[in-house]
Amino acid sequence: MIKVSRRSLARYGADQLLRGTAARIVAKHLAAALIDGQRQKEAQLLLADINYELQSRGRLAAATVTTAGQLSASLRSEIVSLVKKIAQVQQVILSEQVDKSIIGGVRIETAERSWDKTVIGQLNKLREAQS
Amino acid sequence: MFNMHLQFAEASGIGAFNINLKAFLFQLVTFVLVVLAFKRWVLPPILKTMQERQATLEKSLEQAKATEVALARAETKAEEIIARARTHADEAMAEARKSAEGAIVSAETAGAERAALIIKDAEARLAQERTKLREELKAELADLVADATEVILRQKLDESNDRKLIEQALKEIA
Repeated sequence: MIKVSRRSLARYGADQLLRGTAARIVAKHLAAALIDGQRQKEAQLLLADINYELQSRGRLAAATVTTAGQLSASLRSEIVSLVKKIAQVQQVILSEQVDKSIIGGVRIETAERSWDKTVIGQLNKLREAQS
Repeated sequence: MFNMHLQFAEASGIGAFNINLKAFLFQLVTFVLVVLAFKRWVLPPILKTMQERQATLEKSLEQAKATEVALARAETKAEEIIARARTHADEAMAEARKSAEGAIVSAETAGAERAALIIKDAEARLAQERTKLREELKAELADLVADATEVILRQKLDESNDRKLIEQALKEIA
């Protein structure tokens, strides 16, 4: 049995999705490959790799946005536009998280990088800078 | 004939002094014999002894003189030796004093250098401590400020301000 690397599986998934293959079928194939290689634990990492592949091909970027409260539609739209511009992709999948502990501001994470503009992040930076 | 002479003598000169010529002549002969005997047997040993005594005395005198000269020479030499020893002692004293002064000066210099080093070390340590304390104070102050800011912002940051904050953040990211 030949062990296929996770990066190769991610490339295969991205190729299939871009060719228009249904996401469910692609997911089934990838799940089969992971189970066959007894690598079920790598599922989350494989998804991150597929995101990276899609983003690097300028098609799709998945971004996680963390705020202290619910995002308004206009802010959501602004963030999508911003991520499109920065990642240079055609489409953005936004995943929203609400975390009161950040106090305020926003944190955006993509497959390639992240920006922490939260109040707690700034305060932690201040603490770290002086320690 | 001898008797005639004697009679003549008694009658003329010597007899006038009432001297017994026979006795006189006898005594003269005896005297001469005594003198001759003295000269022959007594005088030579005495003279010899005297000469020996004189020679011994002269020798003793010479020895005394020689001893005196030797003593004088020895005294001079002793004085010279004492003078030389005194000079050496003075020189040694001077040198010792000089060495002691040098040792004191070098000890003082070394002490001063050591003291300067200790002071410098202490100052450096103090500066380090000061810097460390300042850093700690700064960190503590930063923590306090961050904590206080966190508390205030948790209480005061409303939805409207949070929105402004997010908009500002998006501008910074762009």
